[in-house]
Amino acid sequence: MSAIRVRRRREHPKRVTEVPTGGLVLASDWRRPSVKWGLGTTQALLLVVLVIIGLGPILWLVKAAITPTQDTLIQPMSVFPHGTDLSNISNAWTQVDIGLYLKNTIVLALGSWASQLIVSTTGAYALSVLRPKWGSLIMVLLLTTLFVPPVVLLVPLYLEIVHPPIFGGTLENNYFAIWLPAGASAFNVVLMKRFFDNLPREIFEAARIDGCGPVRLFVSIVLPMSKPILGVVSLFAVLASWKDFLWPLLVLSNPSEQPISVRLPTIQSETDLGVFLAAMLIACIVPIVGFLIFQRTILRGTGLGGALKG
Amino acid sequence: MAAICFDGVSKIYGDGTCAVDALDLEIEQGEFMVFVGPSGCGKTTALRMVAGLEEISGGTITIGDRQVNDVSPKDRDIAMVFQNYALYPHMTVAQNLAFGLKLRNIDKAELDRRVNDAAAALDLADYLHRKPKALSGGQRQRVALGRAIVREPAAFLMDEPLSNLDAALRAQTRAEILKLQKRLGTTTIYVTHDQVEAMTMGDRIAVMRKGLLQQIGTPEQLYTRPANTFVASFIGSPAMNIVPAAAVGLGPGSLLAGFRPEHVEVGLIESGCFGFDAIVEVVEYLGGERLAHLRLGERSLVAKLPVDERLESGTTMSFVVPHGAVAFFDAETGLATG
Repeated sequence: MSAIRVRRRREHPKRVTEVPTGGLVLASDWRRPSVKWGLGTTQALLLVVLVIIGLGPILWLVKAAITPTQDTLIQPMSVFPHGTDLSNISNAWTQVDIGLYLKNTIVLALGSWASQLIVSTTGAYALSVLRPKWGSLIMVLLLTTLFVPPVVLLVPLYLEIVHPPIFGGTLENNYFAIWLPAGASAFNVVLMKRFFDNLPREIFEAARIDGCGPVRLFVSIVLPMSKPILGVVSLFAVLASWKDFLWPLLVLSNPSEQPISVRLPTIQSETDLGVFLAAMLIACIVPIVGFLIFQRTILRGTGLGGALKG
Repeated sequence: MAAICFDGVSKIYGDGTCAVDALDLEIEQGEFMVFVGPSGCGKTTALRMVAGLEEISGGTITIGDRQVNDVSPKDRDIAMVFQNYALYPHMTVAQNLAFGLKLRNIDKAELDRRVNDAAAALDLADYLHRKPKALSGGQRQRVALGRAIVREPAAFLMDEPLSNLDAALRAQTRAEILKLQKRLGTTTIYVTHDQVEAMTMGDRIAVMRKGLLQQIGTPEQLYTRPANTFVASFIGSPAMNIVPAAAVGLGPGSLLAGFRPEHVEVGLIESGCFGFDAIVEVVEYLGGERLAHLRLGERSLVAKLPVDERLESGTTMSFVVPHGAVAFFDAETGLATG
């Protein structure tokens, strides 16, 4: 006689959804109501505060640029109490000639960006990959320049630009007066060198055996592997050039060659507030759009996936 | 393909460390030569000197008829496979394979043919448009091999190419490399610290230690007639048992006697054999055989015994070894005698 066994259906524990916690708080802690609500509320509040601090001034500028001047003066925090006034933007473009200054700014920024990238990548490549005999001494000299405050260099640099050695003539009112000093950035070379130092040597060796000379190695291997740091240096270079005021004011005395940062104070005294704010908005919008387009390149990781055994 | 010759090659670093000491070695055309030895023995340095990645401090290296001491890596007509793949992460598999050919201005049709042939041979045809990060470890190593073979160089240099793969994949890739090398007939120098890899792959093996070449020979020569106690204990797993000859009644105290674990049998002394009594410490069951760890006085020995041989840990038993299976070494120099 065989016993008949009734198999009981095994009860499975209730499935729990994985909670992304960012690592500091354990998933089990996160499920406790006090932690969940307390931390959740704090995170939401922090987000609101950061949005107000970070985005608030830009949003206010957008609002004020398309608001009649009287409304901005009387009720600065009201949102369009008497409708919008898009003529501020067109006036900024036509009367104040903001387009010309914007173009000047873009040309200056692109030139400074190119100059900084060329100097920093080639300098760092030489120091990190080619490693000349006196490389460490050059590196020490580069580092010492970081301890010299930029304002101390203002007068000697100005004299160099007014009367450049060897070539003669003058670089005053010439864009090279902005581009050349911009390239001489020890900080960028050091930053770039640190990145190149961490690139795997075996890949360089493989490339050398494959047939790369120093130039080909730089162009085909090192630069494509350095997109993240190129993004960072580009961001620093463009932002620094965009907001630079003192140096362009000194070396570009011709108003038709000045960038927007130098012209804005003059524009402020020559036109009404609405047009001035519209001009400021136009000045801000290019770097913001640029960042939004290139943010993935600037913020992503090193991009060495699969090159080496991890 | 070309012969490679080391003539008194040395590598001395700036701090005085001698990584390779007067290495004399001839590798024949089409031969598969394995450099083996423990970490720091100079095997990788020797390989890198052939590649041109390390300066040569003394002596000469010849590839084919050409002395290459002062020739840049790209002009040595060699291809190297690195331990950590060293693939170009921003290029696809096809671009990785074709990169070296493009630099040599190989025409497009020939380039495509070589890339497709290599991809087919290494089972990479379906992955040509993927980047290295989208490949498994085994596939990446195959791309690294492919990058070497498309070049059709005079010699392959391989620096522990299998050490990052798991055991099963390592055995499979080992066979693939061997088949490939036999098919192409390209002279190959293969560096490894794994003596099993060395024994199974090499036409000849060069055993190195502390920058010095210890012995060079076929796997069988190294296993059966080791030149010194280092080679005897490094080649073979488990290692050769080495005891003072006097301890097993085989000779004077100035000699060491060496015998392989598989030559040890359980039993009493008979003609043509010598014997010893030892305590069985641990017995490892390996499926097809048993490894018995024995204690003879203060010395540990290993015996590889048939699986049906029942041994009790802690008991003292009698073992025998045929006289013909014993190698003798000088106790002072460690060199083989006779």
